[in-house]
Order: sequence, then structure tokens, then C-alpha cells
Amino acid sequence: MNRVISDEILHAFVDGELDVDESEKLVARMREDAELKHRVCALRSLQNMVRLAYAEPPVSAGEKSLAPRRQFMQRCALGCLILVAGLSGGWALRGVESPAVAGVSAPVVGSYQAVSLTREADPNRVMLHLDSAAPERMQAALDQAERLLDEAEREGRAMQLEIVANSHGIDLMRAGVSPHAARMARMSQRHANLQWVACSQTIARFTGEGQKVELLPITRAAPTAIGEIVSRLQQGWTYVRV
Amino acid sequence: MDHCPRLSNMSMISQLLFGPFRPSIEAMRPMLYRIAYAWCHDAALADDLVQDTLSKAWTRRAQLRDEGSLKAWVVTIMHHCWLDHLRSRRDFEDVDDLQDSLESGAQSPEACCDREQVIAGVRAAVSRLPMGQRQVLTLVDLEEFGYAEVARILDIPVGTVMSRLSRARTSLKGLLDPAMQQPAARPALRRVK
Repeated sequence: MNRVISDEILHAFVDGELDVDESEKLVARMREDAELKHRVCALRSLQNMVRLAYAEPPVSAGEKSLAPRRQFMQRCALGCLILVAGLSGGWALRGVESPAVAGVSAPVVGSYQAVSLTREADPNRVMLHLDSAAPERMQAALDQAERLLDEAEREGRAMQLEIVANSHGIDLMRAGVSPHAARMARMSQRHANLQWVACSQTIARFTGEGQKVELLPITRAAPTAIGEIVSRLQQGWTYVRV
Repeated sequence: MDHCPRLSNMSMISQLLFGPFRPSIEAMRPMLYRIAYAWCHDAALADDLVQDTLSKAWTRRAQLRDEGSLKAWVVTIMHHCWLDHLRSRRDFEDVDDLQDSLESGAQSPEACCDREQVIAGVRAAVSRLPMGQRQVLTLVDLEEFGYAEVARILDIPVGTVMSRLSRARTSLKGLLDPAMQQPAARPALRRVK
């Protein structure tokens, strides 16, 4: 089928309205058709912008004066909460070896503790956060990503997955440093909705220490990893620290 | 720590009014408010609309057959409240005519790289959409209602849902294009103070 795919079909695809068969066909086509992939990405980012725009609708008149400060404080509190959850989750799981991870597949995230601001963690929008260069952690991140994506593909869900790296975890995304570059390129090719995000602040820090940081071409840089994570959470994504 | 007196009073009143149906229905308040705000872009009006909707939902609770469709049912009620409100504005007789007439005079959003600006830009762009498109877009994007559900809520054919959605997103893309065309600006959208 070489016909141009109509906007309506693409909208139905990003809204999860296509049946499994049709979705699969479209996903397969997206792999070869960069233009199509670009259209889907543009639609998704539009959708994300709309969600972001109404994530915190302004409150009505009576409390306007206090609201901005309060919202700011709430956002700070939220950020701290997420950090604490992430840190303590990571600390609690520091001894967990990857074999233990393998068997479990609770709604989304293996045996990892997931954080989500929605009532039910969204299995179709997940970010994995890597902040260590430990070989087993890198390995676990990639394994986990692949498992989630494969599972989604089997079930015909259109899943978006982001791997966010900061601190030493950024080594995973550095050209010439990453031990998994080939595998990552393969994964990106296979999964149109997989994104690699590196923290610019970390890059700046490494550069300041005299290291030359070059990212793999599949990677994009976000201003800060924490900012990326908080925004995604507000958009309803599920956060998992690997 | 952060309940303003007015809100907690209101939720106390609705607690009194609503008895045991409330936990589920009160829990819908933020969702309803988000949608209402996206429809009218006026905080006070959105508040009224939600209040109106919740009290109507309470009085009509016996009509709800299937607990599972509570959310869509409540939104349907809000849609009717919204239509009532639009009709009560003297200058609009036929709501179907609102399609093109209800565009606000908001400035077209400009390329921006600041998060708050993006939010303001998207809201301005959404508020420029004709009402029919705005409703479909917000129900699908903000609350992830299926097309069939949206069709039931707004009482229009599914084909209309799809075409309105398509037109809405196309115009939005047009309105926001400067912001979306700059890949370099994208990461900056995600910045959080």
C-alpha cells in the first residue's frame, strides 16, 4: 500500500482508535517512511502541548492572588517528592540483580517501583531513568525497554518510551563510550516511538571537567533530566528509575 | 495546607448536599474543571459550570445505569449545561451556528521557548477554534475519551467527531507552527523552574 495515509487515519492511530491489525501495519510503514514518522511525531507533540496547556488550569477569581506562589510551591514539593521517591526506590533496589527483574511484569515496569501522577500508571507512556554507568544497570535499562516495547507490540498498543540519562548514566548515550551503541541503534530502528534523552547539564559538567562529550546520533539533549522527568510526569507519563 | 477557605467551604457544602454518591462524583471535579476551562477559558465561568454539572448529576443520579460510564455521563451533563449557557447568551440562537462565530479575538501565538509562554500560546490557539472542534479536541486529548464516547457525549456522528478533530488539529498546527517548526525550541518547552 503506497497510498498517502490520511490525516484522519493518523489521528485515529495516535488516539488509539485503530484496531491491532491496522496499527501494526501503520507501525511497520512508519519504520520505512520517515515522512510518516515525522507526521506522527508532530501529532504527538501537538497532543502533548495541549495536555500541558491544561495540566494546571488557573483557579477562579477568589484565590487568584495567592495562586501562583502556591502553584510554585506545589511544583517544588512535587519535584522533591519525585526525587525522594526515585532516590529511595533506587536505594531500596540497589541490591536487586537483573535476574530478579526478569520474571516480573506488574502492569508496566517489572520489579521496579514506578511513579505516576495519574490514578493508574499509563503503560503506554513510560520513561526509564538511568543515572549510573554500572554495566548491569545499563544492561537492565535496555532489557527493560526492549521488554516493554515488545510487549506493547505484541498487544498492538502504540507505546511511547523514553530513556532519560543523566550523571554517569549518560555514558550509555556517548559516542565512542557507550558499550551498547549498536544495540541501541537497532532498537531505535525497530521501535519508532523510542527516544533517547540526555541531560544537557550533565554534558556541560563533563565538558567542564575536560571530557569531550559526543552523543550518539539517535540521542536528543534536554535542558535538564529532572525538568524532562517532571514535565513528562505532569503529562501523565509513568516514571521508572532503573 | 493549601485549601483556600472558599474551596473547602464549597466541598463541605457539596459533601452535605451529595451524600454517598459524592466520593466518585466529587473526584471528577478537577477533570470537569479542566475540560470546562478548556471550553470557555474563563475560570469563574468554568467553576460555575462544574458546580452546575455536579448538582445536576446529583439530582439525576437515578438515571445513571452503568457505573462504568459515570465519567462520560457526567461530561454529557456538562455539555448540556454548556449549551444552556451558550443559548442564554442573547446573541446566539442556534448553537450549530457557533461553529465559526465563537472564535475569540486572541492574538495568534508566537514562536516561544518558554514553558509559560507555550501554555499561554496553546490556550490562545485552542480558544480560537470553533466551539465544536474545541470540544472534540479537548475531550480526546485531555481526557482520552474514545471517538465513540465523544460522539455520544456531544450527540453527533462519529464521522463528525473525526472530521472536527482533524480540522481542529490542523488549525492548531497552523497556529502554533512557528513554535513547532523549531526543533531547537522543543527541549526548552520542557524546562521546569
